[in-house]
Amino acid sequence: MAKSRRVSQHSSRIGRYLLLACWAFFCLLPIVWLVTLSLRGRTETMVNPPIYWPHFTLEAWRDTFENWPMWAYLRNTFVAAIGSVLIDLLLAIPAAYSLARFQYRGRDQIGFYILSTRMIVPAAVALPIYILFKNLHLLDNPVALMLIYAAINLSIVTWVIRSYMIEVPREIEEAARVDGARSIGILLRVTLPLSISGVVTASILALIFAVNEFLFTLLISYTDSAQTLSVGLAMFTGGSKGIIYNDIAVVALVTFVPMFILTLLIQRHLSRGLTMGALKN
Amino acid sequence: MAVVKLENVCRYFGSTPAVLDFNLETREGEFVVLVGPSGCGKSTTLRMIAGLEEMDSGTLSFDGRPMQDVPVQDREIAMVFQSYALYPHRNVYDNLAFALKLRRFPKAEIEKRVRHAAQTLDIEPLLLRKPRELSGGQRQRVALGRAIVREPDVFLMDEPLSNLDAKLRVTMRAEIAKLHRRIGVTTFYVTHDQVEAMTMGDRIVVMNGGVIQQIATPLALYDEPVNSYVAGFIGNPPMNFLDADVSEDGGRIRGPGFDFELEPSLQQRLSSRNQHEVTIGFRPEHLKPRTDDALPTMGILQGTIELVEQMGSTTDIRLTVDGHSLIAELPRDQTLQIKDAVELGLLAGRLHVFDRDSGDRLNVAVSEIQPSSVRSRQSNGKLASV
Repeated sequence: MAKSRRVSQHSSRIGRYLLLACWAFFCLLPIVWLVTLSLRGRTETMVNPPIYWPHFTLEAWRDTFENWPMWAYLRNTFVAAIGSVLIDLLLAIPAAYSLARFQYRGRDQIGFYILSTRMIVPAAVALPIYILFKNLHLLDNPVALMLIYAAINLSIVTWVIRSYMIEVPREIEEAARVDGARSIGILLRVTLPLSISGVVTASILALIFAVNEFLFTLLISYTDSAQTLSVGLAMFTGGSKGIIYNDIAVVALVTFVPMFILTLLIQRHLSRGLTMGALKN
Repeated sequence: MAVVKLENVCRYFGSTPAVLDFNLETREGEFVVLVGPSGCGKSTTLRMIAGLEEMDSGTLSFDGRPMQDVPVQDREIAMVFQSYALYPHRNVYDNLAFALKLRRFPKAEIEKRVRHAAQTLDIEPLLLRKPRELSGGQRQRVALGRAIVREPDVFLMDEPLSNLDAKLRVTMRAEIAKLHRRIGVTTFYVTHDQVEAMTMGDRIVVMNGGVIQQIATPLALYDEPVNSYVAGFIGNPPMNFLDADVSEDGGRIRGPGFDFELEPSLQQRLSSRNQHEVTIGFRPEHLKPRTDDALPTMGILQGTIELVEQMGSTTDIRLTVDGHSLIAELPRDQTLQIKDAVELGLLAGRLHVFDRDSGDRLNVAVSEIQPSSVRSRQSNGKLASV
């Protein structure tokens, strides 16, 4: 009796793992395809029926990094995205603390106003933003992208951090107050360390959004002194060579892999953060 | 050590009064317990002393220095919270040292004070652990350590033992009392547990509905409660209450299942008030079996046993007297059975008489009222006669 129960439990576990393995394969197939695409010659990317086991070559990788300004795209993406996240954190942490902890008139309205900036259709503000940066002489400059990304993501960064700060028990902050800390000290020494998961989550989200941003990047940057990977990717779809699929795969992987690794490293923070954000009012 | 003085302190939440006209002056190094049911305003009062809650009116002073406008950070207080409120991301050492670091104490001094506090509370081996690695009792000690390391003028404790199990609570209760004796800092201790209040406090402030009911020493509260609320709140098992009528000549007091002869002093006091409809109260331990003639009684109560609880040293019985439930705490007795008829005598001089409407205690003659030593107010804000 006990033996048959053990066998049934064992087979049910095997069944579960098989199902999960199928699901994982289904989810990862596009990534695998992207990797194989980046490792095949250009002719092998366009044959019909497709070749599932190609002749591996680093031709696309060489072509992308030697004949295209990949290093410039990478540098611009890094500067603009990381810079925008730093600006966001600098502004969002005190804003989130204020929204989470202080009582003042219009607090909820201000909170909603911050969030509402995320609801604007980007195309509606594209032209004003273009003119604004033109007047600031910042066109085709990564600093302009940094500022735009920061502005786009500020609301979500603020709200994610706020949702974590609300969770910090008030008594702990009161204990710090009794111990002699003032508001800034409480924020830096108590609330912020206890909301670090929220800060990490918000930073990753902002980073992903910044790296993915296309519309404003295309609008503001027109040479490789400001173009990022997302716009760079589009460069491989036109021109005299037509669509260069294996090069596109290389650029896509270069964009995707660092974010993927980063997300894996902090996935515990991230999943908790997204869940919390979903359940908060 | 400081003399803490609160005068006419009020706090409202919206239009609801949380604390009304609170007046208290401590002695240096006194252990004052604020006790009452949930929502009675005791924690709000403590938080006002800490500065975590604003006062709507009234004054607060430490050693004569006005405190109501001094921010929390600048008051020389330390507080132990109900949830301990330890910093979860810091180890025990850093939890203890936090306040000292903020005050820019020299490193050597911080080390000395933290080590001393840790030795006092027996938590030295835990100094490098994070709060999540500690048991409830250990966290409690760390919270106390964080408070004593400051060497504050005033100690504030907000139900610090309520998260501990019953056994640990008794141990920690004794330790806090010992600690107070050793360091001698003026302490305010909030609890809803009357046993904690009775065992720890030099003086107890009983509160209800935001209003002080009585301020007195534990035994004075027990023996001479100013009203039926205090009488019912203090004591375990609680005091028994019955409605009663005083005879026309004032010599007897009658009610369901009893007819007591009043002692002359009580007769005199009641007749001076000309009050006939009253509520009487008596403590369960002041009832004794009728067969016990060693102590004089003022009358007999006849009832039927509903429940027998063997407590080990005593036998508690719940009985009904003419449809009213009472509790009696008797010497250990294994012969008592449910449904038995029982006759109990009430010890002479142990009867409390209360005004049936206001609940004020009537045992004290009008001429004996000393409002400066014992203050009492009803929840409607009127001063109660004591």
